[in-house]
Amino acid sequence: MTQRPVFIAGCGQVGPVAEDPRSIVEMVLEAVEGALEDVGITHQDIDAIVTASVDILDGLTASNIAVTEVVGAVMKPEARIAADGMAAAIHGACQIWSGAYDTVLIVAHAKPSMAPYQDLMQWAMDPIYLQPLGVDFLTCAGLQAQALAAGDAGAEQRWAELASARRAGTPAAISADEILASPIVASPLRAEMCAPMEDGASAIVLSAVLGKHDGRPQVTGVGHDLAPHDLGDREPGIWRGLERACNRAYSVAGIDNPASAFDLAEPSCLFPHEEELFVAAAGIGNATVVSPGGGLFVGHTPVVAGLSRLAASASAMRQDAGCRRALAHGAWGPAGQGQAVMILEAGAP
Amino acid sequence: MIREEKIQIPFVYAAGQAGSRFLVALRDDGRIMGSACAACGHVSVPTRSFCPACSESDLSDVELAGEGNLVSWTEIPGRGVFALINLDGADGALLHRLIDSPDKLAVGQRVRAQFAETRKAHISDLAGFVVTGAGP
Ligand SMILES: [Zn+2]
Repeated sequence: MTQRPVFIAGCGQVGPVAEDPRSIVEMVLEAVEGALEDVGITHQDIDAIVTASVDILDGLTASNIAVTEVVGAVMKPEARIAADGMAAAIHGACQIWSGAYDTVLIVAHAKPSMAPYQDLMQWAMDPIYLQPLGVDFLTCAGLQAQALAAGDAGAEQRWAELASARRAGTPAAISADEILASPIVASPLRAEMCAPMEDGASAIVLSAVLGKHDGRPQVTGVGHDLAPHDLGDREPGIWRGLERACNRAYSVAGIDNPASAFDLAEPSCLFPHEEELFVAAAGIGNATVVSPGGGLFVGHTPVVAGLSRLAASASAMRQDAGCRRALAHGAWGPAGQGQAVMILEAGAP
Repeated sequence: MIREEKIQIPFVYAAGQAGSRFLVALRDDGRIMGSACAACGHVSVPTRSFCPACSESDLSDVELAGEGNLVSWTEIPGRGVFALINLDGADGALLHRLIDSPDKLAVGQRVRAQFAETRKAHISDLAGFVVTGAGP
């Protein structure tokens, strides 16, 4: 790489928890303070801020305005991304690569416990053709899952085992049989196959100058892509957008063979069929460990998910010297309409 | 402490010129209209102002059959069965509902559009699709 380095200098995380009684500002405060402390810096060391939030989830317009002060953006450049936090992290990395800033704070938050999620996600759909029919994100996930399950008799059993495996050893542990006995929510998806929706916030410090001497992991590739909104305009059984996003990232990082390139993958998958779509689109192989902490299956916060996966990847690389390269992933919109990935490489051992 | 709120704001959403042709054809003629792209040949449904496959805007309206093949479906308890339908003559799929769907469904199964008796240039003028036969 000829670009200047971008290090994941520090991370701060709040949640996911089912219902955080605090205000969004207080949740964000804890995440931001955690990230700054992790690097050992203050707001004065931050050159710019990128926030990720979605108005409809906050019940506000311009939901970034509500966190301007707490993220330290007063009298500083702030950009706001209305998508998953991974897209905000890519934006921040590009700002650093451009030479505009040395150190950028990335912050994502969501508190879905504030309102009925189904109503919100129905409102997020096309208002002429889809909203009036009652189509929401869960509908699209069910259609995508069925497109995969048709002609694959083992799919439901496999998905139950996958969702069970991701929760093994966590407080949410559940057997595959219990998952298969849970009620259908959008056939063929069952209640216990779904990642539980929870409140949370995440903050990450990206920097060209901080983190190098602490051996922090470095961003060596990014990719971002959008598929058409309407599932009818896509191939329902393939995440083409993720394929394109990964190919962009692999090209930047100089990865020719993704099947043997990664020690770790931290995908943002809300259902087991999405993890199968992820593995196929990213082209990762059996040697890659996927979601060792359970990923989103132990708790999922929309908007925050991708940034939390980035933090989980960086944390794993800091703790395990054998983890040399990781693929972190964020997704948003109905049935993975938006896709973003970041490739991390371990710092000097 | 919390403050409770219920957001209720009246809105009007424009279907657009292309979308309005689709909705008016549903209402007046019980016909499903799509758009054929002069540049790449892709036939999309509903009618569009630009091609979803290649982004060109040289499109012409085409009438599609009221029949097609089932691409995928999902049943949501209490809310019915949603489906992706590949209408004969179209390339993409239309996301809509199945009416009185049988317990066993299969990819490629034949379905036919059923129109509402009272129509008002709304997507629900197309009441949904009924399964008419087995798959290929
Ligand atoms: Zn075209």
